[in-house]
Amino acid sequence: MKLFTIKTKIILLAVFVFLVNNTTASAQKVINDTVFIITDSIKPNGQKNYRAGWGKLIPEYGKLQYAGNMGFLSIGGGWDYGKKKQWETDIFVGFLPHYSTAKNKITFTVKQNYIPWKLDINKSFMVEPLTCGMYLNSIWGRDFWVAEPEKYPSGYYAFSSKIRVNAFVGQRITYKFDAGREYFKSATFFYEVSTNDLYLISAVTNGYLKPNDYLVLALGIKLQIF
Amino acid sequence: MIKRLLVGFSILFVLAGCEMFDYHPYDGQVTGEKGVNAKNIERIEQALAGKTTIKFAMMGDSQRWYDETELFVRALNQRTDIDFVIHGGDLTDFGLTEEFMWQRDIMNGLNVPYVALLGNHDCLANGQDIFRTVFGPENFSFKAADVNFVCLNTNALEFDYSHPIPDFEFIQNELDNQQPEQTKTVFAMHVRPYSEQFNNNVARVFQNVVKSFPNLQFCLNAHDHHLQADDLFNDGVMYYGSASMDKKSYLVFTITPNNQYTYEVVYY
Repeated sequence: MKLFTIKTKIILLAVFVFLVNNTTASAQKVINDTVFIITDSIKPNGQKNYRAGWGKLIPEYGKLQYAGNMGFLSIGGGWDYGKKKQWETDIFVGFLPHYSTAKNKITFTVKQNYIPWKLDINKSFMVEPLTCGMYLNSIWGRDFWVAEPEKYPSGYYAFSSKIRVNAFVGQRITYKFDAGREYFKSATFFYEVSTNDLYLISAVTNGYLKPNDYLVLALGIKLQIF
Repeated sequence: MIKRLLVGFSILFVLAGCEMFDYHPYDGQVTGEKGVNAKNIERIEQALAGKTTIKFAMMGDSQRWYDETELFVRALNQRTDIDFVIHGGDLTDFGLTEEFMWQRDIMNGLNVPYVALLGNHDCLANGQDIFRTVFGPENFSFKAADVNFVCLNTNALEFDYSHPIPDFEFIQNELDNQQPEQTKTVFAMHVRPYSEQFNNNVARVFQNVVKSFPNLQFCLNAHDHHLQADDLFNDGVMYYGSASMDKKSYLVFTITPNNQYTYEVVYY
């Protein structure tokens, strides 16, 4: 026996859609109201209402990076700040295929960028002639440790195979979309040259290693959302 | 200033090329030659088949001493009396994928074939996977003239009992498959018994098995970074250790008929 006829189904669907739309509309209204109250909300004692700060946890842009000693492909997001938005802090999750090793691996990266100059070429294009910064990369897996396990005499290896410290310099070019017409405000293409602590210590103690041995290239895209 | 930076970096980028897109220091992406040991063993066995005297060099612990290792290769290439070279392990300092390839490329500069053993540093992170890919299995043997060289992974501390180290099954198979042409035996390992890396619970058991091989000449090791010549068990079996590459020395062994051998320390 059919529970509902087609007609009943359509009516039910219509009611459902109506309700959902209504709820969303009222929800939006609530959000708008809240935002309005928060942005102008200064407590009587002059303190800012820190609830406004939670909104800042939403990343302002997304980034996708190829290579650069943090995975084959890394996806992440971050926040820009400073008077000229000269600082950017990113977090990434990277994917690393196993190649000659037993398992595929995931890496996690925290990256700090400094972008001192922004040059507008025209209405649409902007160039950043120098980006630089550092990033910490952590690779997941039982083979890697932060400090050597207790089975070793103390100071036996004295380095971490899990955490790498990287430093980079690079450049970027940005295309700004027309306001309101695209989902993203702008798209930035960047490249970076980097090295890490272990490559660096190998390089400074050996003339044998050439820049293309210890320097690493990366390419990436940044999409500005807010 | 800014324009110059722009031009400078652009040039750098073009010069860099595509080889520099590294995914991770431990990515395991091996380029260039693989299975080096097997190829070189074939060369050694062919070149020395039927001979009764062999002369080889023993070195090791070349980790992060690329310049010194290059000097060793140059020094060894200047002589023509060496049949092959044994690298006693610790090619890498951190077990990085690139380190294995840098060392392979330097050692490939040798005019004579070489084999590389697995050192404890080569086991770091996923190092042994890279070692297996670039060089081959960590336990192996080869036949140079009338001598069977048994090369072993003895880095027990690195493996937490998850692997049998030393692998007595492998050693027993070597003994069982001994060929009549090979009347002598030499053992080579990165870590010698009673080292902190060795499974010292079986040090004497190991020694007894080693001594059961036909006409054991001596044992070779690296790891301790200084020259060694010790009768470890007071049973007449000598353990010779090579110094690390920063000491700029290597050992040369000559195994001659009438069951005799000589060795010398060469500084370069």
